[in-house]
Amino acid sequence: MSHKVTFNLNQEYDVIVCGAGHAGCEAALAAARRGASTLLLTGNLDTIAQMSCNPAIGGQAKGHMVREIDALGGEMAINTDTTAIQFRLLNASKGPAVQAPRAQCDKKAYQFRMKQAIEWQENLLLFQAMVQSLIYKDGKVTGVRTNLDLEFKAKSVIVTTGTFLRGLMHVGQNQNEGGRMGDFTVKGLSQSFLDAGIALERLKTGTPARILANTIDFSQLEEQKGDEDPTFFAFYDTRSSEELFHVEQPGESRLGWEPGSEQVSCWMTYTGEKTQQVIKDNLHLSPIYSGEIVGRGPRYCPSIEDKIVRFSDKDRHMLFLEPEGRHTNEWYINGLSTSLPFEVQIDMLRSIKGLENVHILRPAYAVEYDFAPPTQLFASLESKKVENLFFAGQINGTSGYEEAAGQGLLAGVNAVQKIRGEEPLILGRDECYIGVLVDDLVTKGTQEPYRMFSSRAEHRLLFNHTSAELRLLKYAKQYGLLPESRIKAIEEKQSVIHHWVERAESEGNAGTTYAVQLRRSRNEADLPKALESHSKDLRREVFYQIAFKGYLEREAKQVEKLRHIDKIKVPQSIDYQSVKGLRAESAEKLAQIRPSTLGQASRISGVNPADISILMVYIEASLREKANKSR
Amino acid sequence: MSATDTIFALSSPAGESALAIIRLSGPLCVSLQSELTNRNKPLKKRHATLCKYFSINGLELDSGIFLYYPNGDSFTGEAMLEFMSHGNPLIVQNIIEDLLQRGLRLADPGEFTKRAFLNGKMDLSQAEAVADIIHARSHYSLEVARKQLAGSIGTKMSELTDELLEIIAEIEAYIDFPEEDLPMQDPKGPVKRIQNLIHEISRLIDTNQYSALLHDGIKTLIIGAPNAGKSSLINCLVGSQRAIVSDIPGTTRDFISSFIMLDSFRIEITDTAGLHATTDQLEQKGIQKTLEQAHSADFFLLILDGTQSPPQIPPEITALLTNENCIVLENKIDLGNCKEHSHFLKELPHSRISITEGIGIDEFKQAWAKRIEKTISLPKSSDAIVLNARHTQAITASHRALTSALQKIDSQDFSEFICVDLRAAIDGFSEVVGKIDNEAMLDKLFANFCIGK
Repeated sequence: MSHKVTFNLNQEYDVIVCGAGHAGCEAALAAARRGASTLLLTGNLDTIAQMSCNPAIGGQAKGHMVREIDALGGEMAINTDTTAIQFRLLNASKGPAVQAPRAQCDKKAYQFRMKQAIEWQENLLLFQAMVQSLIYKDGKVTGVRTNLDLEFKAKSVIVTTGTFLRGLMHVGQNQNEGGRMGDFTVKGLSQSFLDAGIALERLKTGTPARILANTIDFSQLEEQKGDEDPTFFAFYDTRSSEELFHVEQPGESRLGWEPGSEQVSCWMTYTGEKTQQVIKDNLHLSPIYSGEIVGRGPRYCPSIEDKIVRFSDKDRHMLFLEPEGRHTNEWYINGLSTSLPFEVQIDMLRSIKGLENVHILRPAYAVEYDFAPPTQLFASLESKKVENLFFAGQINGTSGYEEAAGQGLLAGVNAVQKIRGEEPLILGRDECYIGVLVDDLVTKGTQEPYRMFSSRAEHRLLFNHTSAELRLLKYAKQYGLLPESRIKAIEEKQSVIHHWVERAESEGNAGTTYAVQLRRSRNEADLPKALESHSKDLRREVFYQIAFKGYLEREAKQVEKLRHIDKIKVPQSIDYQSVKGLRAESAEKLAQIRPSTLGQASRISGVNPADISILMVYIEASLREKANKSR
Repeated sequence: MSATDTIFALSSPAGESALAIIRLSGPLCVSLQSELTNRNKPLKKRHATLCKYFSINGLELDSGIFLYYPNGDSFTGEAMLEFMSHGNPLIVQNIIEDLLQRGLRLADPGEFTKRAFLNGKMDLSQAEAVADIIHARSHYSLEVARKQLAGSIGTKMSELTDELLEIIAEIEAYIDFPEEDLPMQDPKGPVKRIQNLIHEISRLIDTNQYSALLHDGIKTLIIGAPNAGKSSLINCLVGSQRAIVSDIPGTTRDFISSFIMLDSFRIEITDTAGLHATTDQLEQKGIQKTLEQAHSADFFLLILDGTQSPPQIPPEITALLTNENCIVLENKIDLGNCKEHSHFLKELPHSRISITEGIGIDEFKQAWAKRIEKTISLPKSSDAIVLNARHTQAITASHRALTSALQKIDSQDFSEFICVDLRAAIDGFSEVVGKIDNEAMLDKLFANFCIGK
């Protein structure tokens, strides 16, 4: 196999992606897979798709998103399945809609495989370079300049720089520049955004210490094993084997192990009284409490000092010890992120059961970085200020690999749509978590690193993970995101599901229909025997659609009711100040967000139903006026 | 409809008076303040200024006090202008014609308040209270309306919403953070709290019945045999209040209703056909109508002729009478042949009176008022909340949703389905006062749970 794109400094690329983290990789792959000549630039080729925090992918709402990424032709799902060392289905005791796959990954294997996927990808060129500034012309982006003063021309640029913009790391009172410990910081690019009128603000996040496994006393810890029957992220029942091993090369599996086999355990322990004391005694040394850190951190992932201060009545906090890979003894301590000084970290860790003699391989730290408030973006993730410039990932104020990857994929697709002069791919918040994510970001912005929760999605009952392919099929088709053969396989799968969902209403055994039986028992084992030959995903989907039909129908009705308002397009040229009757406060908010649909307008905080009615009247009137003029 | 035009209305009663107040609201007020007054500099905002009023043709129509309120700092939230002219209907007429010529429009009833609502100056329940204050017909309803305008319903809804958000946040925490070290989830955990909410909502829904009481009055039926003194009782009760009483001819029924004030209660008194056993078809029909009336009545005054033996009351009617909703009036005690009838319907309270001589009337009225106070048991004015039909409909949906949630908890259904109901209940509250952001729920979740393993 050889690349069609050759390295040529004078070439104008269709798409340049700055940054090769989880957002950048998906963005570059999505653009290249759609036939656009793509250049992926990263400051360090050895940290492609690096898991900077915990070595896990998926979980509640996030796992759903990974399956959606798979349904839209992304790489994250299959990359996780083929490099994961433990699989767990979370919320297995709750209903199917909120069950979510989660996997611990081999951090290095994950990076290597993703790097290879990029290296093998047609139309995609990878190059190590740090972007220092963007090149603008007439309100459009036309290329990038690197720290070696190389200029690359592009029709569109996607920025996925993560926490690297003016990254500042804190360990106690000690401060170091950098976006991740051991890595650099990017300074010039921030100025380049400010020059273009793009506002930047600060956020904060943190990561715990990494420890050496051979200094952990596992005999004192509780074990948490993986599921014997793992739930994978990628859909395999609709893929051919060539698609499955597109990186490993057809016919020759180089995985080294069967996905889901030889799983590794995680371990649980707790902080104790002594831990609390150590933290309380040293609180004044934490840069958060002493005021050094100005960026706002995530509430769902507070530092241990935060937890102890805010929940002082809780006498212990649970910690998970997670392996970072098969070929390393480096372990991650989930739940112990901190920015206390290193000496305090040692005392704190050694106060924990099983860690009395632990050796710290890397200290915990907090990091502050620039982000560009995402209300400055259209729902296509294109900047409102600079044409052809797209943003994805942590630069948009999100947190998490899955959130980043979802945005990256969308930005990649939409950059190509833009340069081809075609309509962007906008996913509805009633269709998938990625749709909720983007709508929340561009409509409401965020005050803290934004993480997806299932409770953010008002229609989450429709977002069960096994339905991702079916829900997003129309987009995969319309935007050419999947190979023809897979589209066909999904359509076939859909008709099988449809067939059985209908048939279950009239057929059955022991005097009752399958449908009635399934609704009563809510047990997958009561599915018709004929389904046993089908995939687990398919059976779970049939089960969900039959057993919870009432809920799903009601939900679908709700969606239908709301949909009309999401279909009404708001002209981008509207001058909100001149819309008579709009309150000044609303006009200001609307002008800032510039919603693309009336539905989006209605979700802007502070815009009330009366404003929406006024806007609706205004839009109808101006449409009528236009129609009259053209007559 | 365009919300962009400028409206005006005569805000004081029509007719001759010392002053007339004309109120304007809308964007034109900004320029009108100088055009109407022929002044070069604008009026000082929210400040009474004595000026002449000039018509569009430059004629001086009157002089009086102008008040200018800038955009965002007025009752409606728009620019407003008020002019207090002399209260001569001719002057008012000239001004109205002038304003119409200038392209202003006469306001629809309630339009100023509507604009205040649309401009976010008040929530819906407050807007409704404005109308109630204007139309309040008793001290009590005035009190309720005043509280509502101050936001009593909004506050109540926020309280309920807050409590419900906390319950939802608790359940959501277990859905969204399944691996966190949260306290063991009690599957029946929120049952008590939801029951309390349902109870509170029921109580609020019950106040809706007073909505009619406040606006229409307490329906009181006078029943008794012919010539027992029904008509003279009405004349006696209404007589002294002629000025504030209006007679409404029964349009669809053969009854006459009058309104009186009893202490702070507004009471609608209705006379009925005489009650006596009869075979006369027409009379039968009358009794039938009385029965229909009795079913929707709040209170009964059963009047007896003390000189006669007690009448035959149809059992359908006596079944409706209770110690709480009825007073038996033994009339004509001034006559020598009057007897005691305390044994008649003896479980009901009796008052002995003479309408013609005015004996016992005040005592009877006191007893009556006391009984109403007790039985109608209007909500205490400390949280004087009376929901109207719109509120009631919205929170009845909440009630239904919460009841369904309880059933699901009881049958150990999945928590995400329980949340669907709880969120539907929130929607009901929001309908009363405005939308509630999901962020509020997350705030509670993170405030109450140590999330972040």
